[in-house]
Amino acid sequence: MKVLIVTNMVPFVHGGAEELCFHLVKNIREYGHEAEAIKIPFTYEPAERIIEEMVLCKNICLGNADKVIALKFPAYLIPCENKIFWLVHQYRQAYDLWDANQTNIQKDQRGEQIRSFIKNADNIAFKEAKRIFTVSKVISKRLKYYNNIESISLPSPINDPQNFNGKTQASYIFAGGRVNSGKRQFLLIQALKYAKGVNLIIAGPPDNQEEAEKIYKIVEEENVKDRVKIDLRFLSREEYADYVNRSSAVAYLPFDEDSAGYVTMEAFQAKKPVITTTDSGGVLEIVAHNKTGWVVEPNAEELGVAMCDAIMNPKKTLELGEKGRVILDLLGLNWENTIKRLLA
Amino acid sequence: MKIGLISSCAPFVDGGGRFIVEWLHQVLQENGYNSEIIYIPSFDDPNCMFEQMTAFRLLSFDNYFDRVITFRPPAHIVKHRHKIVWFIHHARSFYDLWGTMYCPVQPDKYWSSFRANLIAADTNALKEARRLYTNSRVVSERLKKYNRLDSKVLYPPVLHPERFLNKCYGDEIVSICRVEHHKRQHILVEAMAHVKSNVKLRICGVGSKSYVQDIKNTIIKYNLGNKVYFENRWISENEKIDFLSNALAHVYLPFYEDSYGYPTIEAAWSRKATITTDDSGGVSEFVINKINGLVVSNNPRDVAEAFDVMYFNKNLAMEFGNNSYERLSDMGISWKNVLSELLQ
Repeated sequence: MKVLIVTNMVPFVHGGAEELCFHLVKNIREYGHEAEAIKIPFTYEPAERIIEEMVLCKNICLGNADKVIALKFPAYLIPCENKIFWLVHQYRQAYDLWDANQTNIQKDQRGEQIRSFIKNADNIAFKEAKRIFTVSKVISKRLKYYNNIESISLPSPINDPQNFNGKTQASYIFAGGRVNSGKRQFLLIQALKYAKGVNLIIAGPPDNQEEAEKIYKIVEEENVKDRVKIDLRFLSREEYADYVNRSSAVAYLPFDEDSAGYVTMEAFQAKKPVITTTDSGGVLEIVAHNKTGWVVEPNAEELGVAMCDAIMNPKKTLELGEKGRVILDLLGLNWENTIKRLLA
Repeated sequence: MKIGLISSCAPFVDGGGRFIVEWLHQVLQENGYNSEIIYIPSFDDPNCMFEQMTAFRLLSFDNYFDRVITFRPPAHIVKHRHKIVWFIHHARSFYDLWGTMYCPVQPDKYWSSFRANLIAADTNALKEARRLYTNSRVVSERLKKYNRLDSKVLYPPVLHPERFLNKCYGDEIVSICRVEHHKRQHILVEAMAHVKSNVKLRICGVGSKSYVQDIKNTIIKYNLGNKVYFENRWISENEKIDFLSNALAHVYLPFYEDSYGYPTIEAAWSRKATITTDDSGGVSEFVINKINGLVVSNNPRDVAEAFDVMYFNKNLAMEFGNNSYERLSDMGISWKNVLSELLQ
């Protein structure tokens, strides 16, 4: 079978969605099919630009594929037969982020027109699809709420579980993944003043140079250089897993994330509990307070207390980590089943 | 400097059109530049050509790249403040193949006007380029003839050429390319029925089923099992290095090819001559008869004679091979030259 994956990309940005796409292609090939990813660059500023991006996608010719798996807006608008969805992203600023007043679409008549253009195109694309999977319950719920479309939530498996063996050697809080204001690594640095004696490592690719400089500036302001290690670059999987394995706990506080996220699942695989916040969205699908980690208000003081608890009570931390692994195993995620369901 | 390498691709088809992009990307990375490849799918279907061009035209790269380099059509249609075009071929059905059996449409009123509009759109987009390069004289001549544009030939090098070695001038003539009728391996096999020496032929490559079968049948028909080795598969890079390093010479006689073909260049790095025919197109941009190879007519007896000449005069094979190596620098076929042109 020839399978095309269609998605969007932003040049020089590499995060969970890109990893998912890469491993989807790799695993489809491992099960004996041909697979290739088509990654269309996406520019969404200013909001007017989105219309052009949609027209662009509508004019792309894919040719003959036996199956097309669409991941993101607006690449999922590319016309083709045999399309199924494994939905990673709609344009959230036209939906829930619009309602939350976190949108680049203006709140006037023109903004409404842009939103309805997006929503109408989405509705048609979803109705034409053979099957619709999403990568999380949050996304499925949103799709039902805003577009009245039913879907099946099918979370993405971890890509290299064998790397996350959880052998504890050091004592620190680890924050991995892409570094940007939305993922709020800065809050963890500010939390250190409420967490005496706690060490923190932040490692991952910054979305751009400004995001990197923000981090350095806050370390400077908080005067916590001796307790923070900042390693802002794209890490190899081995380096990344090593940071996770040697940590006491993992901190991950994205704002209203769509899914549990690789960071969370990889932490649980390594039996590390996760420190997160009450507004982190999909992360809360698997992280529960005092069961598999700490769920606190998104402020420096509460985060500091949680970080202290994780470092000062190692027995509790170990127990929470063990439970995280149990929860993850119960989800039964693996690529073989995932590919079977997607290609069925 | 952030550089976007923009090209089109035919999903599930690999070929020379991707090597030029991917090798340049790798060399840029090795030299400390920040580059990213963008492939947008495109098809040779006349009925959706303008739709595809619209998609390319709508792509927005100004926020991401300081300059873009475009390759396979219709990538030259993209808009950018600093566009460099490295043009590797036209949409040939509407250019030099117009009105021939290779053109899928009739030269009637509709398609003639379609063609005129296509040429006009191409010309306008090419005029936007800061600099216009091609991969061969043939392509430059077509740009002059059909688009009335001047261009500079920038010959594409092969990746890490220092891998290619010269161990000896053995008994084998080596052919490495797709096994297709227009690559004319059948002439090579028939030639082997006429050779007077102990020369051997090694054909490496995959291709269409029926032609591959023809080649196998011809080998049996002339009872050439001991003289012709047919490696009907993708050989590894190490095997290629090995075959070329021990070869007597390289042979490549495609029917009117645009460019010299990468194996010709790889053979030259191994200090091996190339045997070709006077109707092979771009190959003779590199191969000069009796200087760094032999250029003969396309009948098996003449090709056989060329094989014998190499076998009976190994000093000549060596002299031609050494001249081929010198010809690389004479023609400026190096990444150093490519980078200094594209990045100036």
